[in-house]
Amino acid sequence: MSDPVLSLSEARLTLSGNAGPVEILRGITLDVTRGETLGLVGPSGSGKSTLLMLMGGLERATSGQVLALGQDLTALDEDALARFRRDHMGVVFQSFHLIPTMTALENVATPLELAGIDDAFERARAELETVGLGHRIDHYPAQMSGGEQQRVALARAAAPRPEILLADEPTGNLDGANGEAIMELLFGLRDRHGATLVLVTHATDLAHRCDRVIRLRDGLIDDDGALRAAQ
Amino acid sequence: MSLAIATRIARRELRGGIGAFRIFIACLALGVAAIAAVGTVRASIEAGLQREGAALLGGDAEMEFTYRFASEEERAWMAGVAKETSEIVDFRSMAVVDRDGATERGLTQVKSVDDAYPLKGSVVLDPPMALPKALDGESGLPGGIMQRVLVDRLGLSIGDRFRLGTQDFVLMALIELEPDGAADGFGLGPRTMVRTADLADSGLLEPGTLFETQYRLALPEGTDLAALQREALSQFRDQGLRWRDSRNGAPGVQQFVQRMGAFLVLVGLAGLAVGGVGVSAAVRAYLNGKTAVIATLKTLGADRTTIFLTYLIQIGILAVISVALGLVFGAALPLIFAPLIEARLPVPAVIGVQAGPLAEAALYGLLTAFLFALWPVAKTEEIRAAALFRDAFGTVRSLPRPRYLIATALLLAALIGISAYLSGIPTLALWTAAGIVGALFVLILAAQAAMRLARRGAKARAVRGNPPLRLALGAIGGPREEATSVVLSLGLGLTVLAAVGQIDTNLRGAISGELPDVAPSYFFVDIQPDQLDGFMSRLDEDEAVSRVETAPMLRGIITGINGRPAREVAGDHWVLNGDRGVTYSARPTENTTITQGDWWPEDYAGLPQVSFAAEEAAEMGLKLGDEITINILGRDITAEVTSFRVVDFSTAGIGFILSMNPAALAGAPHTHIATVYAEEDAEAAILRDLASAYPNITAIRVRDAIDQVANVLAGLAAATSYAAGATLLTGFVVLIGAAAAGERTRVYEAAVLKTLGATRRQILTSFALRSALLGAAAGLVAIAAGAIAGWGVMTYVMDTGYSIAWGPALGIVLGGVLATLAAGLLFAWRPLAARPAQILRARE
Repeated sequence: MSDPVLSLSEARLTLSGNAGPVEILRGITLDVTRGETLGLVGPSGSGKSTLLMLMGGLERATSGQVLALGQDLTALDEDALARFRRDHMGVVFQSFHLIPTMTALENVATPLELAGIDDAFERARAELETVGLGHRIDHYPAQMSGGEQQRVALARAAAPRPEILLADEPTGNLDGANGEAIMELLFGLRDRHGATLVLVTHATDLAHRCDRVIRLRDGLIDDDGALRAAQ
Repeated sequence: MSLAIATRIARRELRGGIGAFRIFIACLALGVAAIAAVGTVRASIEAGLQREGAALLGGDAEMEFTYRFASEEERAWMAGVAKETSEIVDFRSMAVVDRDGATERGLTQVKSVDDAYPLKGSVVLDPPMALPKALDGESGLPGGIMQRVLVDRLGLSIGDRFRLGTQDFVLMALIELEPDGAADGFGLGPRTMVRTADLADSGLLEPGTLFETQYRLALPEGTDLAALQREALSQFRDQGLRWRDSRNGAPGVQQFVQRMGAFLVLVGLAGLAVGGVGVSAAVRAYLNGKTAVIATLKTLGADRTTIFLTYLIQIGILAVISVALGLVFGAALPLIFAPLIEARLPVPAVIGVQAGPLAEAALYGLLTAFLFALWPVAKTEEIRAAALFRDAFGTVRSLPRPRYLIATALLLAALIGISAYLSGIPTLALWTAAGIVGALFVLILAAQAAMRLARRGAKARAVRGNPPLRLALGAIGGPREEATSVVLSLGLGLTVLAAVGQIDTNLRGAISGELPDVAPSYFFVDIQPDQLDGFMSRLDEDEAVSRVETAPMLRGIITGINGRPAREVAGDHWVLNGDRGVTYSARPTENTTITQGDWWPEDYAGLPQVSFAAEEAAEMGLKLGDEITINILGRDITAEVTSFRVVDFSTAGIGFILSMNPAALAGAPHTHIATVYAEEDAEAAILRDLASAYPNITAIRVRDAIDQVANVLAGLAAATSYAAGATLLTGFVVLIGAAAAGERTRVYEAAVLKTLGATRRQILTSFALRSALLGAAAGLVAIAAGAIAGWGVMTYVMDTGYSIAWGPALGIVLGGVLATLAAGLLFAWRPLAARPAQILRARE
């Protein structure tokens, strides 16, 4: 078995709210191997999106360890985390999170530019063509449909060829047909680039396509490999 | 029906507080406060002038003559109408002090008085003593009193001797307060006061000497001043009478205060326009946040008018609150600073709450608020219920309905019309309004151009691989309104400042930079004919003297043109205001350029002929062959205009509007004036020698006169800069508003960028670049607009050349960059500090 790409050990996250501290994650231990497709499922509030954020260094664990590609993310400061994501990760959100002041092409080119890649725009253009948006490159997010925005977001996440692709309910805001198309694209990109994919989803059919599925409940792993076992 | 519902909904909407309108309120209140404060000070000074009219004038009325004392007939008339009269003689001279073998000289404006002076008010002296006692003098010498600045310049102490002409005086006291000082107008030297009778042997009041006499009249209670003025002028106007009375004791000061106040109010209006930009941005931001509410109201059945009224009522309430706040500040500021203001003013001011200026400021404020808010409010009509399901508001780009365009045009016309009417200087007001509207228009175009350039720039190959710069360009060129708001608000403020800077620098340059190169060192006046040869020989011997020009000089008043009163023919032309210098010459002087007609033969002794200044003649509509009547020393001389010639006043050399053939003025007592061009090092010796030899001659150092004019201009520029500063402060508030409104967006952008791998330094750099680029764009437009304004004023108003002043111009760009940087970075901390997960999740 190869070294894990992501490795969490007793990772906990407690947030302080108005009503006192809330334990979102209560000790998660798991490994994700290179090239694996992992689905995170569970009811709302179970902590699956937070777990994904922890893996992406977007949230900092209160205790425990989060290793990505052997690097302890809890030991990195804000900027080091940003550079780490730039070099190794792509993130896709349910609400797309495109930068409204940038066109589709500029949105996709940004992480490539941040990584200092010379042909950022050519690669961004190619990536947009891959997701079927070659004709919309100069459009701003507000001028595109939800499905198109999510395709831009996918292209943006995949363009730097990340080793780790994190997707937080990527079809959650889309209708059936658009959701299906995004799913195809997501798995197509993952297959083409050979990245490790961690996917938060409510959609059973999407989870079914993962190599492995973890079910979370109340901030704890309720069932590791639940769906695979069922297959 | 709509109105009642709209009022109810508006009230409910405002229940949540007016915190979201801080920028709206600040912008409007600042603009209103500035105008109210300027107006209050102006009205206070005018009230003071009105109340103290008689004291300022030194009597209920004054009759002034130039170059002569009142005639028997005039004295008899005055004695008939006045309870009491007082005679004052006013002229320039040199105060001379001999000390330890050395001689000090200082130019002074002498006021010689009689025993009745002052009819109103009293002269305050240091050490305290009665004026008659001070003028009595001591040790057998008559007394004199002086202003402190002259005493210091001459190094005098109380009890020391000084000389005027050939008469010695003893300095008895310093003048602390001269009750009629403000009414005297522009003087080239500090004041010395003596008794007229004591000047009898001074040689200073000889025939032909330049002096003015003022006869102050104490009139019986209830005298009809207007009727008396008419009577006096009908009898004596053609003999050079000038009339003033207590209805307007210091007309020069009053006019200056009125003009200056009106001008500053106009600059204040520019500030209000900047505030209007802030109001517009604030209303837009507020309404953007209300899209869902409006869409819901529409879903529930509210029609377009109800929606429009709902938000117009809210804006109306906020405008009233803002204007009220502005008025409180505008009225309070002058009251708080009253002691300071009153101490610095040379005239009495009654600083208090003045209803007129406050009402004027309130009117401007309300009109501005509705002018700038109407458009965004009208756009609420276009929000459809469907906006609840998708973001439709941001894509609305069409104009509001025609009725709102017409209403906007009417509001603008009302604002401009009222300001033109109330300022009392409609031409300047209209030009200013055109300037502000033009500048706003240019700035809107500039903002759009900047956005287009930024969009292009963001796509340019050159910026690829430089994410902070491309992000900044992308943000400027993106589909948001921040760029327009920043360029407009800052640009307009900077434009006003740039225009002031350009005009000020060019004026100073014209006065103190270029002129002295061609201007003479000294003007000498009151040279008696028998002194001229000696005077010239001293200068001819001096190698440091490069040129001397002399001319005989009389003073006369143009009373008629072709047999008709001159004012009927040439209106209010400045040449007809008071007396003018008149010279005579057998042949054209060197450098004379005759543009039309011929000079008289050298030995010409026929009917009087006159050569007239060409430019002024054209303005007055004179042509060759016209006959003009000039009153000189009470005698009317009618002369035919036989030539026109170029007279250039800009070199400060000798320039006479009127030059006559010598025979026409034969026998009239007169003096000579001279201009001396000499090296600066030799100036002191020339003055010493000539003033010692001819004590009656007055020397005016041109450099000092220029400095004095430059000081007056510096004061004007400073006052204007303060007003422009208020405009800029409002602009900065708008900037803060824009930065604050954009903070949420920036927090979100920063979170996304961090997710994509941008470091905080890169994000901060991008934010800073965004601000700096916008500030530079606003600054560049301001320079262009300021330069156009400067060129216009210098070319058409000042009639002189213009060259762009790069120092202030670069300062403006730098100021623009720094201001936007400061406002932008003030709101950069949160975006940089926020954790991406929290921000992004909040948006899910």
